[in-house]
Amino acid sequence: MLFVVLVKQVPDTTEVEVDEETGTIIREGVPSVLNAFDEFALNEAIDLKERMDEDVEIIAVSMGPPQAKDALKKCLAIGADSAILLTDRVFAGADTWATAVTLGRAVKKIGDVDVVFAGQEASDGNTAQVGPEVAAQLGISQLTFVADIEKVDKESGHIICKKETDEGHVRIKAELPAVIACMPEPGFEPKIPNVRDIMKAKKKSLDEWTFEDLGGDEEEYGLDGSESVVIRTYSPPPKGEGIKIEEKPEIAAEKIIEFMEEEGLL
Amino acid sequence: MARTKLSDDRDLTEEQKLFKESINDWAERNFPLERVIRINREGHPFPQDIVEGLAELGLIMVTVPEEQGGMGLTWSDQIVIAEQLGYIDPSIATAAGFMAVETGWGFTINRYANEEIRERYIKPAIQGDKFVGIATTEPKGGSDVAGFESTGEKDGDEWVLNGEKTFISGVEECRRMGGGYWVNVRTGPKIPEAPHKNMTAFFVPIDTDGVQPQEPYDDAGRGSLSTSGFIMEDVRIPDEYMLGEEGKGFYYTMEGVDNARILIGASSVGVTRRILEEAADYIKERETFGRPLAKYEGIQFPFVERYIELEASDLMVKKVAKMQDQRYDEEGWLERTGKAKTYKPTEIAKWISMIKYKVPHLAKDTADDAMHWLGAAGYSSEYIFETAWRGVMSYCVGAEGGANIQKLVIARETLGKDYIPYK
Repeated sequence: MLFVVLVKQVPDTTEVEVDEETGTIIREGVPSVLNAFDEFALNEAIDLKERMDEDVEIIAVSMGPPQAKDALKKCLAIGADSAILLTDRVFAGADTWATAVTLGRAVKKIGDVDVVFAGQEASDGNTAQVGPEVAAQLGISQLTFVADIEKVDKESGHIICKKETDEGHVRIKAELPAVIACMPEPGFEPKIPNVRDIMKAKKKSLDEWTFEDLGGDEEEYGLDGSESVVIRTYSPPPKGEGIKIEEKPEIAAEKIIEFMEEEGLL
Repeated sequence: MARTKLSDDRDLTEEQKLFKESINDWAERNFPLERVIRINREGHPFPQDIVEGLAELGLIMVTVPEEQGGMGLTWSDQIVIAEQLGYIDPSIATAAGFMAVETGWGFTINRYANEEIRERYIKPAIQGDKFVGIATTEPKGGSDVAGFESTGEKDGDEWVLNGEKTFISGVEECRRMGGGYWVNVRTGPKIPEAPHKNMTAFFVPIDTDGVQPQEPYDDAGRGSLSTSGFIMEDVRIPDEYMLGEEGKGFYYTMEGVDNARILIGASSVGVTRRILEEAADYIKERETFGRPLAKYEGIQFPFVERYIELEASDLMVKKVAKMQDQRYDEEGWLERTGKAKTYKPTEIAKWISMIKYKVPHLAKDTADDAMHWLGAAGYSSEYIFETAWRGVMSYCVGAEGGANIQKLVIARETLGKDYIPYK
């Protein structure tokens, strides 16, 4: 079986600050890390591989500048078997759609992929669009908010997952091949690669694919292939101070209703 | 406000960056600064989960060759790991201290040990299941390594060891985990003009009959890693437990001391970096007379001076690691020709002494400065500074040679042997 895990290198959100004047993210000097959602997806893929009786190969794929290799190196250390970096000036400036075009072409080129794992979203853009868009590109099943994978059965051609919903969880079955967008549950702790894992990763293959490798028209990729434009990035203004009511529930409820009436909310 | 970061990893290899990331992730999850402070306040016993964590991450004796159970890493890799352990453990009494003892001496014991010792003690120590260490200091002194009095007498295919070792790191941990010590004894007459001759090194398992561990000392710092000693009374050790050749213990010991001193220097870089980062966060936030402390030149100038010293020290440690890599790469050449290809061992020893002198003092002085910058908060164990100060002080006063011993080595190599003060 063949699994592909889509990963992204993102600025470390604990280090990010926003320029108050321009409203843009200050990226200078901010370390880059592997997107936590993608790290969860990779951990799920490895966990599934370890549970399965048959041979499974895991390929980590990322689109990004040359330095995104660091994120892929980490994937190799965590347990991916090989990695591919999609890097080319043609890919630069891509929105989620153009990113999905690039990733989708790479998955097609790899060929015979059974499951494509993605993080539910990336911590820098939080769009949660790329995974589903890749599925659309490939014309295959898509499952989002996946918290756990119960089973992948190539013989019956199905995948069974636990999907998070507003009400709790649902068990859901889909046809293979499928794209699954993974959402870590609270308390998830990713595998920490040890020195031996890291040194073993040095011997694993990490290829670079460019526009030439993926083919198609240049206009389909990067800024030219993007359907959306970012006009402005800004931090929302802080909310005003709230009102705290410390009363018995029935009195508190009355006071809340009173407040809402005063504000014209009822 | 974003946390202050003073490290620049761009000159590291991809693997080295990942070593640091894994250590940070492990510490963040299991071993935050609050726990470092608490462990040091509570004292012994050494937390077993830290030993297990170090072993699981593969951080013990990384320079031991792969075929002998290690990771086969270079010293340039090793110092990155040691620095990061100092960064997460500025007390140098938990992860950093344990690694320094185990790795510095474990690596050197492994070089001169036979297969049995490697299998029974070194490999399990790498897995976190045993403890190995060094016991050189005796009640009559430690800095004068060749001035020891313990003896070893041959009896058939065994040696009978007698004497006392004191101020030894990890005796309690060794008793609890099992393991043993590198012990030097005199196996021939003392030659007054060459007291280092007839010194022979043995590996002595802690549970050997006649080894009598003593009560731990109550140290100023390093609260969790024990310091005590043991008496050897007619301790019978088989021939095969001799490390290397008879009479060459002094030279092996000097090699081991060098290896451990590098780890101490590198860890102290990490300690200093952490202290400066933690202090920077405080002085940027805390205001007095309407301005953040960091705006006052009385604080920012000494901060900058310490930072410059830190980066200079980091470069020195990196240089020493490269020298050390060459030393072990060219070892066969040195053995065959009797001549050093790039650096003589004594030249490397000079550089190692320079970092062993400079960096722990820098860490201690930086902690001292930080306590002044923070005032009462700095003096309190709510912050890491006083714990770090008490911990790194042990590297200044001793631990592989006190400050003045390093100066003697540096003077000998710069002014010449004619100016050795004690001859």
